[in-house]
Amino acid sequence: MLIGKNATWAYIVARTKVMKRKLIPKEEFRKLLNMEFNEIVRYLEETEYKKEIDELAYRYSGPRLLDYALYLNLSRTYSKIVRVSFGLAKELLIQYLRKWDIWNLINILRGKVANATPEEIEETIVAAGERDLEFYKNLIMKEPEEIVKAFEGTPYNEPLSKYGTVPISEIEDELFKIYYTEITKLKPAELSLKLFVDFVKMEVDIKNIKTILRLKVEDVSAEEIVNKIIPNGYELSVDEARKLAAMSWDELTKSLEGYWFWKGVEIEKEFSTIEVEFDKAWIEAIARKASNYPLSILPVLQYMVLKKVEVDNLRILGWGKWQNIPNEEIERQLVIL
Amino acid sequence: MAEVQPTRMELIKLRRRIAMATRGHSLLKMKRDGLIMEFREILEEAKEVIGSMIEKYEKAQQKIALAIAVDGAMAVKAISLACCRIPPTFTIKRKSIMGVVVPVIKREKVRKKVIDRDYGVLSTTARIDEAVAAYEELIDAILEVAEIETTLRRLIEEIDRTKRRVNALEFRVIPSMEETARFITFKLEEMDRETIIKLKHLKAKMARREAEEARKAEAEAKAAA
Repeated sequence: MLIGKNATWAYIVARTKVMKRKLIPKEEFRKLLNMEFNEIVRYLEETEYKKEIDELAYRYSGPRLLDYALYLNLSRTYSKIVRVSFGLAKELLIQYLRKWDIWNLINILRGKVANATPEEIEETIVAAGERDLEFYKNLIMKEPEEIVKAFEGTPYNEPLSKYGTVPISEIEDELFKIYYTEITKLKPAELSLKLFVDFVKMEVDIKNIKTILRLKVEDVSAEEIVNKIIPNGYELSVDEARKLAAMSWDELTKSLEGYWFWKGVEIEKEFSTIEVEFDKAWIEAIARKASNYPLSILPVLQYMVLKKVEVDNLRILGWGKWQNIPNEEIERQLVIL
Repeated sequence: MAEVQPTRMELIKLRRRIAMATRGHSLLKMKRDGLIMEFREILEEAKEVIGSMIEKYEKAQQKIALAIAVDGAMAVKAISLACCRIPPTFTIKRKSIMGVVVPVIKREKVRKKVIDRDYGVLSTTARIDEAVAAYEELIDAILEVAEIETTLRRLIEEIDRTKRRVNALEFRVIPSMEETARFITFKLEEMDRETIIKLKHLKAKMARREAEEARKAEAEAKAAA
């Protein structure tokens, strides 16, 4: 019988293991790749996604139905994980899922800037974070100043208070920086917290390297690239990012060899495909770490990432088939491990 | 033609007008030919510009399809809320092609760096960048097509107008004036002939009167003798 610290994790890990078994196996994606859009939806009607597809079928159709159903399922899955967890696990998961709150907040502000209708804004909300859909529905109806007020006392208040005086893109990036910094600045006293912080730091590394390469492709100056770097990465610190940003493309790609995320990345491909390779490297690294620490937050986070990847893969297949994108291109964008 | 005064002055004026119309006709013909040549050159350019716009449109469609597929319709919609409602800025200037005023669109490049766009870098992906960039290029191409299409339309209108003028001069105005001139000439000749006949009659009358008077004078002289 498990006692002590590990018991906290054993329950939640067991629950997520059961949920993980329900994920669509990678062999199935090969089959799905050769199906038509309607066949994919029929296939999904026999899986975990049936409930959401049926629920939204009165409102949407075609790939939009699939898109919204997948996101609804994702947010419900995340809510379920938070619901079944307790103690430190619950706290950490809520903290991790706050990125969806940022995503929703950004979309509301974008909508306000563009004078979009409440319905248009609501369609972009994914209630997978700490706050529920009702909270966002109320927020959408408010004026921008009231929205900013709603976040008074939180770390996000500072960038939000700049609303209207600086471009919205700056606020967006600042919000994400604060989100990641709030987690990565933690000084973990125990292993479970350290594993969580390291996991997020690895995510920061992936975000940063994508940012560096993406802006480098566009010939953005080193100083501007550094402004977009999230501090406290796993291996990639701000100083290292500054050095990389100042290098030429060839030097940069050579210097990246040796970093944990630079495994089998072929730089000759289109940049959007390279992003997929980074995601694969990240997921593989998480899987390795999760198997080393089976009774920790990592298997739970790994499941959450795998669930997101599954949702993304299904959406790529659905929209890809609907938009007649060639199978080879769809396959290039899929993250199958 | 009924109102025309068949006078020599009128004929002189008419001949001057015919000469001017003929000169105008040949100038308009030259202008028409020049405009057609200019039109053909711009047409070739327009074909290239339109072709490139179609290519850019297809590329943009592919990129947005991929962005929607990978990042989701929600993400793309959220980005569209932020960045796609700002209209492109441009100023319209004018230039003249053979007297035809055509627009020159001075546009500020819609294409922006990722860093200058109205969405954050950290919450978006390269696929979104590629789709936005493809649409920015498409907007540039649309503005270019708008400029060249307006130029072509104005040239067509001008060619059409010039053609109508050339035809009106060639088949209506000049022939009508020439006919009037012929009529005046005929009338003047007629009048000349009438005058000559009148003079001849007068001369004969006068000769007859003189002969009568001479006969009378001779008879009186004989009687007196």
